[in-house]
Amino acid sequence: MKISEDAVFRWVLIVGVAGASVIALTLLTRPLVGALWGLVLVIAACVHGYRWVRDWRRRSR
Amino acid sequence: MESATVALGHHAEEHHGPPEANQSSRIDKQTLGILLFIVSEVMLFGAFFASYFFLRVVVSPAAWPPHPYELPVPVAGVNTAILVSSSFTVHYALESIRRGNREGMKLGLLLTWMLGATFLFIQINEYVHLGFSARDLSFGSIFYCLTGLHGAHVFVGLMLLSFATIRAFRGHFGPKAEDHLGVEVPGIYWHFVDVMWIIVYVTVYIL
Repeated sequence: MKISEDAVFRWVLIVGVAGASVIALTLLTRPLVGALWGLVLVIAACVHGYRWVRDWRRRSR
Repeated sequence: MESATVALGHHAEEHHGPPEANQSSRIDKQTLGILLFIVSEVMLFGAFFASYFFLRVVVSPAAWPPHPYELPVPVAGVNTAILVSSSFTVHYALESIRRGNREGMKLGLLLTWMLGATFLFIQINEYVHLGFSARDLSFGSIFYCLTGLHGAHVFVGLMLLSFATIRAFRGHFGPKAEDHLGVEVPGIYWHFVDVMWIIVYVTVYIL
């Protein structure tokens, strides 16, 4: 992945959609459900980030 | 002996100053600089979020926000929409200059600046009408710290956008990647400010 404004803008869209899903779930159910969903998303983002860094390091060797 | 000293002196003159910095061939130094800056900013926001969750979960009062305080969720929602749309306009500005469309870039930058200024204005107006200050409980302190920290970042982003807009109107920037870094770097910073607001809004106002 090339680091540029395009890539960062894509992340704005991803975080926007994720935020919207947390808002929708919170308003439709309870804040706790929204918070748990938010936690799941944060963990998924961390796993994705870890894999991306691992692959990037493997490629750059 | 004398000639050796002269030769040595001449040699020393040639190698003054620090050695030239190593530069990556994958990423230009301006983009790398703003990315490293953003990483440090993420850590700063992380510290504030840690404080927020500590106060809310560990020191927690029964209700959050504590009675009788209320947060203007709809107004902040509109403000969120304004800031998110400003990410689209800055992206439009960059896409325009990549295609050589200078007028599009100027329009995009101007719209971004105006949307950012509107966001900041609404935020300040919200502070005036909230009915509590940073001195009111830990809730007031952390609310003003988190939103104020973000507001400061919006202000800095507006400064960067001002310089980019002035330069755009003075005929700077071109379609080649190295010729519009002055728009790309503030653009990346602006997207970061936008992402942080989405997280702040969801955490502070919604959850």
